[in-house]
Amino acid sequence: MSEPLISVRSLSKWYGAWCALDHVSLDVEPGSCTVLCGPSGSGKSTLLRCLNGLEEWEEGDVVIGGTPVAHRTRDLRRLRREVGMVFQSFNLFPHLDALTNVTIAPRIVGRRRRTDAERAGMELLARVGLADQAHKLPADLSGGQQQRVAIARALAMQPRALLFDEPTSALDPESIKEVLDIMVDLARSGTTMVVVTHEMGFARHVAHRIAFMDRGRIIEMADPRSFFAAPASDRAKAFLGQIRATDPA
Amino acid sequence: MAAEALSSPPIPRRLARQSGVLLATAARHPFSLLVSLALLYVAWIVGERIVSWGIVHATFVAADRSGCDPAGACWAFIVNRLPQFAFGFYPEAERWRALLVVLAPPALMLLAVVPEFRGRRAFITAGFCLYPLLAFTLLAGGLPGLSAVSTEKWGGLTLTMLVGMSAFVLSFPIAILLALARTASLPALRLVAAGFIEFWRGLPLVAILFMSVIMLPLFLPPGVEAPRLSLALAGITLYSAAYLAEVVRGGLQGIGRGQYEAAGALGFGFWSMQGYVVLPQALRSVVPAIVNTAIALFKDTTYVMVVGLFDLLNIVVAGLSDAHWIGLATEGYIFVGVIYWTICFGMSRMSARFEHCEQRRQPAGAAAGASQ
Repeated sequence: MSEPLISVRSLSKWYGAWCALDHVSLDVEPGSCTVLCGPSGSGKSTLLRCLNGLEEWEEGDVVIGGTPVAHRTRDLRRLRREVGMVFQSFNLFPHLDALTNVTIAPRIVGRRRRTDAERAGMELLARVGLADQAHKLPADLSGGQQQRVAIARALAMQPRALLFDEPTSALDPESIKEVLDIMVDLARSGTTMVVVTHEMGFARHVAHRIAFMDRGRIIEMADPRSFFAAPASDRAKAFLGQIRATDPA
Repeated sequence: MAAEALSSPPIPRRLARQSGVLLATAARHPFSLLVSLALLYVAWIVGERIVSWGIVHATFVAADRSGCDPAGACWAFIVNRLPQFAFGFYPEAERWRALLVVLAPPALMLLAVVPEFRGRRAFITAGFCLYPLLAFTLLAGGLPGLSAVSTEKWGGLTLTMLVGMSAFVLSFPIAILLALARTASLPALRLVAAGFIEFWRGLPLVAILFMSVIMLPLFLPPGVEAPRLSLALAGITLYSAAYLAEVVRGGLQGIGRGQYEAAGALGFGFWSMQGYVVLPQALRSVVPAIVNTAIALFKDTTYVMVVGLFDLLNIVVAGLSDAHWIGLATEGYIFVGVIYWTICFGMSRMSARFEHCEQRRQPAGAAAGASQ
């Protein structure tokens, strides 16, 4: 087994008296796709947000590519460049057109020349199927298109891993497919991904590993086939039962 | 009544199509028609008198008051004194410098409302940013080719333009820093910024002007003498910065957490995040309030008269006591009013134009990005 790209060791976080993460440990291999699932409030988004320092934690370590993520240091900025993030509500910059949304970080943070950044940006937009929308403002794009621009924007910094925080939860069914297609494509081309999602179809067919979380702990870690065929824990069984009850597919 | 109105829509509608909605409304509301006619009559009476006094019977060229037609306005007073009203006591041979200082801001504003051309925004922004420095250098002189002119001689519209525009432009960066400090996570920084804002905002501008002219020199090292104009300008700038800081803070509060998170996740540091992501959106969303502050500030510059500076209003008021032109306060104040109104209206148009162009770039859901 290769060296893990992301390694979480015994991470704990409290909101006041409430324990959001309870000694969570997780290793993410390079080139793998890990899906975090579980009922809402189980800590999966919190865990994901710790991976690039959007949340602070009280105990434990997050190590990315051998370097620990520490808060209030310049290291954090450098690490954030190496881990891209895709948000549930896209969070595109509304005052910038699609292409500038994609190129602004390489130009400002990565100090690349404008022409280089724009050429790379157009390639990324083409990859998510939006080359013809490059000069539109986010307000003029559909939800699915905005999320695809957001994926291109995260890829523009050439991160070593991509984090997805419920990327399809704010989308209508048609847009969900657009975005999932891109994500499948990324996973198949060997991008290291950690995905928080309720899309069990994606988890079943694309993920290499599934981490089931409940009450701030990872209580089950398995490959998709065994997880869906025979979940080990009662809570996972109940969770899958609920999903099947609402989504017969 | 309602049923009647429903059963007979064609007549009002045809009327509306033929003679405008106004007439249709008038036909349905005879009382409104009556009021409208009465108001039109009043407007005619007033308008006719104004035109008769201000234009028909007005005198534009005369040597002194006695040469003016007593039935009309004596604009000859304004015409004779125009160079002084515009440039104060600036030496006659050097007035082109003052003229440039007066014309530059309106020219920049005009550029903002003409059709788009390449680099327009950058040009206008650079123009306004450099205005205080360039205008001061040009007026003060003391460089090869430009003779030195003491600030005592600056006055009239030149001074008004210089003080109004410079105070606004100079207060902008201070206001942004204050607003950022006021929303910072460090309590000490917040306290200092809030204290500064409350201090300057809580004092009347007249008091600030007196303080800056009388008290500031006490803090200057001995031997250093700052002209009254600079001291007054410093006071107005800080006063304006306090107001503007609150406006900018309002804009900052409209930026959702998601924008900070998205920029942070891409590796933006604090200043680049503010400069490229947060401030462009925050400032855009408060443009009307910024222009409001600028207009108020521009008019407030008339207070510099209390420390003995001859801005446009003060120099006109001083001219009113000239023995050759005694008793022409109406003409003088109308002139001042028209100039101020024109400049403020220009600012307002510029802001409207900007808003119109930028509507689509506003953040849609301000509070987007909250997740569990």
